[in-house]
Amino acid sequence: MYQYDVLDKEFLADRSAEFRHQVARRLAGEITEDQFKPLRLMNGLYLQLHAYMLRIAIPYGTVNGAQLRKLAWIARTYDKGYGHFTTRTNLQFHWIKLRDMPDILDALAEVDLHAIQTSGNCIRNVTADPRAGATAEEVDDPRVWAEVIRQWSTLHPEFTYLPRKFKIAVTASAKDRTAAKTHDIGLSLRRERDGTLGFEVMVGGGLGRSPYIGKTVREHLPVDRLLSYLEAVLRVYNRHGRRDNPAKARIKILVAQLGIEEFARQVEAEWALIDASKVDLPDTELARIRSFFARPDFQTLPRVSDAFDAAKAADAGLARFARNNVHAHKVPGYAIVDVSLKAIGATPGDASAEQLEVLADLAERYSLGEARVTHEQNIVLPHVKLDDLAAVYAGLKAAELASPNINLVSDIIACPGLDYCALANARAIPVAQDIARRFEDADRAELVGELKIKISGCINACGHHHVGHIGILGVDKKGEEFYQLTLGGSGAEDAEVGKPLGPALAANQVGQAIEDLVEVYLRERKGEERFLDTFRRTGVAPFKEAVYAEAH
Amino acid sequence: MPKLIRLTENGAELVDDRFTTVSDDEPIPAGDVILSLTRYQAEGEVLAGSNRATGVLLAGDEEVEALVYDLPRIPVVALSFAKFRDGRHYSTARLLRERYGYTGEIRAVGDVLREQAGPMVRCGIEVFAPSDGSTAEQWAATAGRFRHVYQRAADSREPIFAERAEGRAE
Amino acid sequence: MKALTANRLIDGEVVFWSHGRWVERFGEAELFTDEAPADDAEGRAKSEGTVVVDPYLIEVGETDGGAAPIAYRERLRALGPTNTPDHGKQALGGHDIDVIAHASGVARSGGRLNLIKRK
Repeated sequence: MYQYDVLDKEFLADRSAEFRHQVARRLAGEITEDQFKPLRLMNGLYLQLHAYMLRIAIPYGTVNGAQLRKLAWIARTYDKGYGHFTTRTNLQFHWIKLRDMPDILDALAEVDLHAIQTSGNCIRNVTADPRAGATAEEVDDPRVWAEVIRQWSTLHPEFTYLPRKFKIAVTASAKDRTAAKTHDIGLSLRRERDGTLGFEVMVGGGLGRSPYIGKTVREHLPVDRLLSYLEAVLRVYNRHGRRDNPAKARIKILVAQLGIEEFARQVEAEWALIDASKVDLPDTELARIRSFFARPDFQTLPRVSDAFDAAKAADAGLARFARNNVHAHKVPGYAIVDVSLKAIGATPGDASAEQLEVLADLAERYSLGEARVTHEQNIVLPHVKLDDLAAVYAGLKAAELASPNINLVSDIIACPGLDYCALANARAIPVAQDIARRFEDADRAELVGELKIKISGCINACGHHHVGHIGILGVDKKGEEFYQLTLGGSGAEDAEVGKPLGPALAANQVGQAIEDLVEVYLRERKGEERFLDTFRRTGVAPFKEAVYAEAH
Repeated sequence: MPKLIRLTENGAELVDDRFTTVSDDEPIPAGDVILSLTRYQAEGEVLAGSNRATGVLLAGDEEVEALVYDLPRIPVVALSFAKFRDGRHYSTARLLRERYGYTGEIRAVGDVLREQAGPMVRCGIEVFAPSDGSTAEQWAATAGRFRHVYQRAADSREPIFAERAEGRAE
Repeated sequence: MKALTANRLIDGEVVFWSHGRWVERFGEAELFTDEAPADDAEGRAKSEGTVVVDPYLIEVGETDGGAAPIAYRERLRALGPTNTPDHGKQALGGHDIDVIAHASGVARSGGRLNLIKRK
């Protein structure tokens, strides 16, 4: 991962000093809340239902042991002993005080962490494939480019007051684990036939009130032209994005309004006028950044680990964990381990300070010092030796981090919802917990197989419900919590917005409805079909009939 | 005469505003004036004949391309920020400086607050009519908060990677 | 009946207006039966820009045992999150917390009476 040098650290120190100064001005009444709000948002600070919420950036989801320990310390010292991982691979604290913020930023800076631009109408945290550097599927490490973009977009003076937020994701494998097509810009690394590396650039994806799947604005962008092209896109957006209505201000609206061809034409015209030598990085700087993502020193190991195989044979729990949470690594003898933050009955995506410290220990001891955060609110230990898997499993299990449910029905994405969020219409956490409990039988969960349920407490869609195989949107009907279900969404490379199932259900009907939907799937499925595949084949009819027959 | 803040390499100073900003329905007084884009396009030619300086005020949704041919004759472009959060004129300023080589005065007027001094300066705005009562010293201090920057803009600051390379070269 | 609520600037704590001061428990909040004093308090609160953020009036109803905010969202603000019962004001316990926790009833879920659109 990128290593800060003295210059980078000075930047964080200056940012922290700036915010300390701005907080003092706010408390003294020198600036109004309206003037202060964008400034605190650009340091990740929201005012929520019960307290301030701080969103800390985890650039491209990569975090090391020292950082995890510092986050645990901040959780204990300034919050209530836990943190929440988000669908943009950031970490949130939900009980922060404004007066502690300057000290918190200083503490974060000690481990090269910050909350820069995690909110506000600016370029946000750039996300990347959590299996970067570990998966055989990638054509290049997407984090190289995520870091390039991160630096370029940090306090970019022209793009500090955009019409609205701007989210970028970088993926480098055929399987998209970043939901790139739901981003303002999705960058998909490809190799051309002649071997040159380039991006397919997709623009105008976004969830929220009006979900859009991104459209390709450029099929092939040579990687060394990335920043000048991004500058062109951002400038067209900054100049022409709507400023009259926040609900219509994302770039997806501009792209839809102009049409992709006209939008592309405007970007190309702007790009042609940009002096690329002032923006695109010199090869030396690209090489320097790439050097931080060099292939680690893997050991030469046999493909098969007798120790691991024996351990699996002796422990059904480990065997189940291996089936669901462990994936092939590009290096023989290693594995990619998914750590579920979706224990049955727990709050999805939450990790206690103790759990963060366990993850720090395991990352340092067994994963070459690194852990990753996924956009599905889970953690990855990317470089674990098969020989060490039993020990890792034992360590996770002791910390209640060994739920063997990755991608299964109880691996639910849920936003904090009305329990925490000032924007929410309904709670999401209890809905998730109820569903998870109904499917806590691990055999049944495995029988159902891959099923991505995503829950949002309001139309802002932070829970990504539009792209859930089953999406659940909390709405307010006459002051009561109701939930609209959608089916058939996907955030992967086959991205699609889910289709509504029927009228909204009351809170106490949702759990049963999910069980009904699963029963239909189990009845209708053919061969190896996942829930999503069966839905795509049968359409909504059998599912709708089951749920609404029940509801009457 | 009303005062403006001008930022220089050495800091900041208060300067007199020798221009009168004239709204579209007022008669044009004697002396140097700033007109709206519409009015400039209608009456700019006439004024160019008389011996005075005529600048242009751009609203948030008005684009710099409309001025390109006239730029050599325009001593000041005033960028109107109806709301400090409207970031369109950061692009306007950069384009004026970097694409069109404008060397005249670019000033920020409207909802102009000291906390935006940093990005404004980096985008090539050097004169400010603040609406929050802030002083020249405060603007200079705010504009100088960051020892390093991560990207090039309209100012002459080198990005951090160039600084780093120079540091190593020494 | 109405009450006036806000978040405290310095720490984000949910607070309620009580005769010119801000209290942390809904049970100690001043309850307005007439519009004029309620509006008057809101006006005063809005001038306290360095004390609280975004004060607004909420609807309050009588239930068994006492008064409680009508809107579910406002009851959550007065209590704390439902997923962690030992976080937030509910952890303090007491009669007023019990009343709110057992209250039910519907209104516009925002509970705001001044029709400002919640962003």
